[in-house]
Amino acid sequence: MWYIVKFQMKAENKNKVLGFLWSFLNPLLLLITYIVLMQIIFRRGGPQFPILLFIGLLSWTWFASSLIRSVSSITSKMGLVKSVRFPLAILPISGIIIGFFDWLFGFAILVPMLFIYEASFTVNILWLPVLLLIEFIGTIGACLIFAVLGTYLADLDNIIRFLIRIAFYLSPILYSVADTVPERLTTLYMILNPFAGLLESYKNVLVLGMPPNEYALVGAAVCVVLFVVGLWYFSRNEYRLVKAI
Amino acid sequence: MIKTDDLGIKFKMEKRRRSGALAFLLERSRKQRRPNGEFWALRHVSLTVERGETVGIIGSNGSGKSTLLRVVAGVYPPDEGKVSIDGEVSTLFSLGTGFNAELSGRDNIYLDGIMIGLTKNQIDGIIDDIIGFTELGDFIDMPVRTYSSGMRARLGFAIAIRADKDIVLIDEIMGAGDVAFRQKAGVEMNRIIGEKTVLLVSHSMDTIAQFANKVIWLNKGVMAAMGEPKEVIEQYLAASKVKKAPTIIE
Repeated sequence: MWYIVKFQMKAENKNKVLGFLWSFLNPLLLLITYIVLMQIIFRRGGPQFPILLFIGLLSWTWFASSLIRSVSSITSKMGLVKSVRFPLAILPISGIIIGFFDWLFGFAILVPMLFIYEASFTVNILWLPVLLLIEFIGTIGACLIFAVLGTYLADLDNIIRFLIRIAFYLSPILYSVADTVPERLTTLYMILNPFAGLLESYKNVLVLGMPPNEYALVGAAVCVVLFVVGLWYFSRNEYRLVKAI
Repeated sequence: MIKTDDLGIKFKMEKRRRSGALAFLLERSRKQRRPNGEFWALRHVSLTVERGETVGIIGSNGSGKSTLLRVVAGVYPPDEGKVSIDGEVSTLFSLGTGFNAELSGRDNIYLDGIMIGLTKNQIDGIIDDIIGFTELGDFIDMPVRTYSSGMRARLGFAIAIRADKDIVLIDEIMGAGDVAFRQKAGVEMNRIIGEKTVLLVSHSMDTIAQFANKVIWLNKGVMAAMGEPKEVIEQYLAASKVKKAPTIIE
């Protein structure tokens, strides 16, 4: 498994002149774009806006890029899949691990930013690995499902990009729930978007020095369900996939 | 030992395979969805290959030869019947389709080796041997996408044969190389014949006749004949209406 991740990373990075440097530049450039957009054009967000935005972006990008990768993870390795028998789940899951390396690069930029923007460090930061684990589990589930669907449906790639874009605006990344969503609708919003609680929790534990948002429990429950359903759905379809490509 | 009992492999046949979700919805709404046919790539195939045998598999295009190798490689589970394989299977890289084009030849050897269950140390032990055999020289550190088909074939053959597994699957790899490589591959084949179980798919009757001690002729997924190489090849050529066996000018 580790070698497959390593070789896949190598294959992806070799195309780029700057190689690993892009892993730093990508989130940074994205961050700058949104800061310009939100703070300078729309004049929104408080003093800690850039750091809150960056945390949201990092976690979101991990999930979204893994999902996009998973859609073509099996068809793009057609030759290999048809030549050797191996657990096909390795393909989408290796994409998630690659995405996590990007997250780590982003986190390396985040750490100095936490100091610059005077984040409150408390014991609550210990929740971070828990949140990451929940996200990892949920992402595995979603990616396994989309790896199967993406093998059957050729245009899923277009659909998923569109859905991810919508989900991005529906999630508290460019904004925070407390500032934007009317209070009476908060519960509804947090339940309709189970990942909102998780995203808010990342901000809570890293910057605001608060414990995770209580709605993160909804997100965690959904992630566990996704994981179980994903495993079940994938294992049920694994052999059919080989014949479908 | 490889044993199949009434083996059948079924594919769904759709007019457009892997159509999109959009097409799915459009067609469904217009009630245009065509009934899905089934297609048996292999059916009622019962064969036994003993340890140390070299079996040639012949048949026209689309007769199920590659499918049979994939079954042995464990890629396709049987839809019908049983398959039992005793021994570890080497890679099946027909003309190097399993390679990652962006990675170098060297990395592909590692990736491949790991996929067929070798450890990194084991690969370290054989990699120089493999690279030497391919005669790729400096190309071994270039991405595989820069390789010619002959170079890919060399790499695929070298891995398959040097991985030291019990069962070696060779799908048309022999035919792609140049004369020198074919001779070298021939020597290598003779070395493993009798020691390993070999399944050899080829359209070159000379290759089959040279190495196989038993030949299977597949016709539209059904085993048309199995037996002595000479006899089965003659039957096959007679059925294909080829008057004379095509000879390769060396």
